Amino acid sequence: MLKEMAAPEKTAPCSSAGLSNYFSADHPDEDKWADCVHCGMCLEACPTYLETGQEQHSPRGRVHLIKSVAEGKIQLKEQFADPVFQCLDCRACTTACPADVDVGGLIEEARGQVRQAMPLKGWKGAVSTFFLKGLFPHQERMHTVSGLLKFYQKSGLQKAVRTIGALKVMPDHLASMESIMPELQTPVQKKYKDVDVIPTKGVPKARVSMLTGCIMDVMFGDINQSTIDVLTHNDNEVTIPKKQTCCGALHVHAGDREKGRKLAKQNIEAFENSEKVVVNAAGCGCALKEYPELFKDEPQWKERAEVFAEKVEDISKYLYDTGYEKPRSSLNKKITYHDACHLAHGQGVRHEPRQLLKDIPGVEYTELSNADTCCGSAGIYNITNPEMAEAVLDRKMENVPEDVEMISMGNPGCMLQMAMGVRKYGRKSEIVHTVQLLDWAYQKDEQNAGLEKSIAVAGEEEA
Amino acid sequence: MFGSKKRKKPQRDPHINKLIEIVGEKEVLYEDADLLSYDCDGFTVHKAMPKAVVFPANTEEVAAIVRYCSTNNIPFLARGAGTGLSGGAIPLNREVIISLVKMKHLLSVDYENRQAVVQPGFVNLKLTNSISDKGYYYAPDPSSQYVCTIGGNVAENAGGAHCLKYGVTTNHILGLEVVLPNGEIIEISEAGVPDSPGYDVMGLLTGSEGTLGVVTKITVRILKNPEGKQTVLAYFDHIEDGSRAVSDIISAGIVPAALEMMDKTAIEGVEAGAYPVGHPDDIEALLLIEVDGIKAGISEQIEEILNVCRGRNVREVKVAESEEERGRWWANRKTGFGAMGAISPDYLVQDGVIPRSRLPEVLENIYEISRESGLRIANIFHAGDGNLHPLILFDSRKPGETEKALKAGTACLKACSDVGGSITGEHGVGIEKKEEMRFVFTDEELEAQIKIREVFNPDDLLNKGKLFPTPSRCMDVKKIVKDTVAVQ
Ligand SMILES: Cc1cc2nc3c(=O)[nH]c(=O)nc-3n(C[C@H](O)[C@H](O)[C@H](O)COP(=O)(O)OP(=O)(O)OC[C@H]3O[C@@H](n4cnc5c(N)ncnc54)[C@H](O)[C@@H]3O)c2cc1C
Ligand code: SF4
Ligand code: SF4
Repeated sequence: MLKEMAAPEKTAPCSSAGLSNYFSADHPDEDKWADCVHCGMCLEACPTYLETGQEQHSPRGRVHLIKSVAEGKIQLKEQFADPVFQCLDCRACTTACPADVDVGGLIEEARGQVRQAMPLKGWKGAVSTFFLKGLFPHQERMHTVSGLLKFYQKSGLQKAVRTIGALKVMPDHLASMESIMPELQTPVQKKYKDVDVIPTKGVPKARVSMLTGCIMDVMFGDINQSTIDVLTHNDNEVTIPKKQTCCGALHVHAGDREKGRKLAKQNIEAFENSEKVVVNAAGCGCALKEYPELFKDEPQWKERAEVFAEKVEDISKYLYDTGYEKPRSSLNKKITYHDACHLAHGQGVRHEPRQLLKDIPGVEYTELSNADTCCGSAGIYNITNPEMAEAVLDRKMENVPEDVEMISMGNPGCMLQMAMGVRKYGRKSEIVHTVQLLDWAYQKDEQNAGLEKSIAVAGEEEA
Repeated sequence: MFGSKKRKKPQRDPHINKLIEIVGEKEVLYEDADLLSYDCDGFTVHKAMPKAVVFPANTEEVAAIVRYCSTNNIPFLARGAGTGLSGGAIPLNREVIISLVKMKHLLSVDYENRQAVVQPGFVNLKLTNSISDKGYYYAPDPSSQYVCTIGGNVAENAGGAHCLKYGVTTNHILGLEVVLPNGEIIEISEAGVPDSPGYDVMGLLTGSEGTLGVVTKITVRILKNPEGKQTVLAYFDHIEDGSRAVSDIISAGIVPAALEMMDKTAIEGVEAGAYPVGHPDDIEALLLIEVDGIKAGISEQIEEILNVCRGRNVREVKVAESEEERGRWWANRKTGFGAMGAISPDYLVQDGVIPRSRLPEVLENIYEISRESGLRIANIFHAGDGNLHPLILFDSRKPGETEKALKAGTACLKACSDVGGSITGEHGVGIEKKEEMRFVFTDEELEAQIKIREVFNPDDLLNKGKLFPTPSRCMDVKKIVKDTVAVQ
């Protein structure tokens, strides 16, 4: 019985809803499942259903189970936890559902309930505590890790480890994660520590604040740098509010809504004075936009969260909406685009990043079939559910043409996962962030301009 | 199964062990929390738990499961995507559900002879998607085609928007492989030669709602894409004008590929759903009309349709200007049922057929039923072939409202049969309409049909309690007694 599972100091199981087996605090939202008419139109969109063929691993099944707990038909036990945590949180169902059922929101609420009833144990618990509690929310620690990782790469140790096969001692999926670790750059948080406003070259047209993201900044400092450069190139001043922290997406996905709320509050405060919050990681952007969901029981914070959410924009959409200079130099590459779930399904951003790519001269753009199906990264899903993540990745890779030179996308988690896919299938495609391509094209413009200038100068001198 | 290795298994039913022997541990669900997702299909008014769900990978496994169930007197039924709207896949008798979703492959395509062979779990739309690059498509297009299976389509003889011109599923089936309720595997017209001599067993099986056998392989007809296609959207201030325009179009000798209608409540639903088009909110009806065929004749037909609409006081009528626009109009229509979720917690969709010319009066009767029951009814339907879909909107959480909805549904069907129509066009009878079968058949006629079922399914173990009213006659009463005795 659930009642036995609930520790005495926790809130009592929901009493208002009569039969509900949920805790009353942060109770999954009945209005959300009431929208579901059980039509099944979401089935074929769901990667875990396609993989298993089982209804409880489909959006319709999950909604049905979530409702069943509220009706007292099943309990907050493993058989409920299983389908709810097998969900990739990819939100493909949200796009497919004709009734606009917020399946993703329901699942996150359900996860919160499961974690209240049955805290994580074992290695999954350890991994999740390490990453989610001990690391991501702590900038200094992230920077230390970044330093260590960099030392590991630079010292040649990485190479040694890879070649002598010490990786074999790690669980398989962690070993393959290591092998695709990108070359690390200095996190921008650290680099611009003493800079309040990063200036534009010309007259500024707007000032935006940037969420640096924890994984993004440590693993992909260069992408953050590109984001800043592209923004300033297009006359946007950039600020990096110091108090900002991890967006909390991974905590919320993992059911730790309490921590999620804490981080959300810190970010809401950190960006209080910002007019626009630009994000280059789809998962983070989506989480920020969904902050109001976390504060059902705290109306004041809900209001602040709503104001905040309005300010959040993905970098590609921000550039598209406010205008950007079309580069003149060519990047002669065959490029395709993978829709990060949390951009396409989560934020409805599909067209904008594609347009950015198409605006770069020389880009031979090819559309990926099923571009918006999940790659299996899904936050730390690929660490906690490696088998399913790999199966989903296999399906993704089936659709990637062999001859594309670059696969562009807008989310660091996807980049790591796709890099793993490319490696597994012995492909040569490079994994890039959309904004990087724009940045490289601008850099080329500048070099060319420099060259022209020096030619011109040389010409003048000759004359 | 992914991620569920560590669950403690309770003491297992010996039948479950047998099923596991046939298909393997991973392919059988038998614990309550796993079974819960199978307690209904797209018809949610009745719910019942199955004994187990089994996922066979091939015909032999299906046959072995069926044989085991039939020798051990265990009720069983087939399930595809579970989008059925009449409860055909609901396990009323604690059935073993044979889910065919893992038999989901396209086995072969023969472009020369214009046919394809699919497994029953192959999703309808995937067929068109797999052959469209060669310029072919599969015509029957139920609105659920994104997810429903061709096996389920055969069982329900599914129709769709484009069936007005091209016919329903049965017109596109060339061959079937079926596992009979005793476990025997039979092939009907294997080579896909149409019109073979003898009785039309294939026709009988198509639309038999999973009560005569489990379909394990299907040979279907594929068609060459029409050379041209144009789509018209017409808005009417008065529903009667819209209804009359439908008859006028057909009377003018045009056979549109599709002729669909939505009324005001339906429009409110689709506009609140995920694929709004921007229809005005103050019109009483809209028509979505598509004409296809050889390019030459199309514009004339479109001109004629526009004229008919104008003659019926259309407020606005337009032709889709791009494939993208056409796609949006269709997505809006095809997701229409689900979109009702945005304006109502539950809906019950009815599926009556009427002579086209009686459309205005039947619609008026339906609105009367709505007023009397106090429940809103949205109409979104295949007007061209007189196939009505009144969607009765209700909230099952409110005491008594489900019963009210069911009653209103029955009244809608009565309104259809009263004008010489029928109680189902394409969604089947299932559980939902079995009592209403009496509106259209006499006791003798029902009895004759049950006799046919008994030839295939003598012990009524396969999808028991569907399709016919229970008990429909004394013999059935006897059977119920016999079954009860057998169970004891
Ligand atoms: C939103 C929505 C829109 C719809 N629109 C339409 C429409 O436009 N036209 C239309 O005709 N229908 C429509 N339907 C109804 C439904 O999609 C069809 O009846 C479809 O054919 C059912 O297919 P399924 O795979 O979901 O079958 P299921 O629902 O799983 O099963 C339906 C019946 O078929 C039997 N069955 C399934 N597979 C087999 C098999 N291999 N062998 C023997 N019996 C089998 C089952 O026992 C059950 O009785 C709609 C449903 C929804 C939810
Ligand atoms: S979020 Fe993705 S994995 Fe989860 S139910 Fe929806 S489609 Fe399936
Ligand atoms: S979640 Fe949406 S698409 Fe899926 S069954 Fe419910 S209403 Fe239909």
